[in-house]
Amino acid sequence: MLLRASGSIQSGGVDVAVVRDAEAADQSGVPHADALIAFADAVITNDESGTSAARTQLRDDLGAEALVDASAVVANFQRMNRIADATGIPLDRPMRSITAELQTQLDLDGFVSAGNTPRMNPVSKAIGRLLLPIALVGLRAFKALTGRGKGHSNSTIESS
Amino acid sequence: MESATAGRRVEPFDYQAAPVVVRPDIAEAHRKAWQRLARAGNWWSGAERIAIAAEMRGARTCSVCRDRKAALSPAAVDREHESCTDLPKPAIDAIHRMSTDPGRLTKAWYESKLETGLTPEQYVEIVGVVVTVISVDTFHLALGLPLEPLPEPVPGEPTRYRPPGATQEGAWVPTIPSDRLTEAEADIYHGSRGFYVIRAMSLVPDEVRMLDTLSKAHYLPHKQVGDPASSGNRAISRPQIELLAARVSAVNQCFY
Repeated sequence: MLLRASGSIQSGGVDVAVVRDAEAADQSGVPHADALIAFADAVITNDESGTSAARTQLRDDLGAEALVDASAVVANFQRMNRIADATGIPLDRPMRSITAELQTQLDLDGFVSAGNTPRMNPVSKAIGRLLLPIALVGLRAFKALTGRGKGHSNSTIESS
Repeated sequence: MESATAGRRVEPFDYQAAPVVVRPDIAEAHRKAWQRLARAGNWWSGAERIAIAAEMRGARTCSVCRDRKAALSPAAVDREHESCTDLPKPAIDAIHRMSTDPGRLTKAWYESKLETGLTPEQYVEIVGVVVTVISVDTFHLALGLPLEPLPEPVPGEPTRYRPPGATQEGAWVPTIPSDRLTEAEADIYHGSRGFYVIRAMSLVPDEVRMLDTLSKAHYLPHKQVGDPASSGNRAISRPQIELLAARVSAVNQCFY
């Protein structure tokens, strides 16, 4: 949800298929998605040689500061995923509806941990489909009013 | 909390020799994590918490975990873990499973840990220790840095404090709804309702505080998380941050 929302504001929209399909990185709309995904995949699968190569690529593409920040984000979600899956939390109620379409699109219902969240009925899913674009339009309006989220100062990204 | 390296005393997480500049707030968060790790918690002593951390590190090379991860079903591999501590067996299995194959944990598996001797409170504190160490270690592995030695345990007894507001909500473990917070843990949700992932470890409030400390440094400060226009002055954009977040979650098969 936050990928789609932030992409809507900062990147002119993203194709979230990249989350499950690394080969879709080039069309994702996220600058340097291929390098970021290769890095994340190598780190969390304990692929030492792959991590070394991906680290070099990411540093070459985005710089040393970005490499540090990317490492920290990967570390963060190694933690958050385990908190969620080890405690069996369900998805929060408002998010269930809003992300219903996303769950289907990315085939997330096949995950074992999807069983921790009660299934939604078709009416709730339909409401979610209606709410998602409204939420994204609201975010764009917020951006226009506040002048925030105009892009990123990193020149490597802006030139992408 | 200091370790001897080549004849000199250095602070933990001294990133001076790192090939890249590590933000000071990350180093500081890691130091706080190690200080907290070494002290007695609510349900485990400092020595036991360090043992949990050591067991988590050992799980990376456990052949049982490797075979289970490769099997169609975790139940297909029924051998004892290669353990490096004398922690109780249900604790060892919990540590190894949540470290190496978290996406296939089930409520029945969690309940089996309770049936074999762990309490929900002990279990949640194990989660807190495991996720603290795995995230700090992941940061090091990602940058090609050696793992920080585990700290020496600080003597002391667990407080055995159970928040009175903890109750069975929708998670496997008891959690504290925001309207049942008492004064002792009034700070842990920053005045918000608290999404489930924040409430998840509230049975041991200090683990929620540790989560906040690390998340501010690794991801974004609490108030910026919900603002998709904010990148927190990081060197990667918010869509890049969220792409990494979503990809890690997908590979770990985390629905949440």
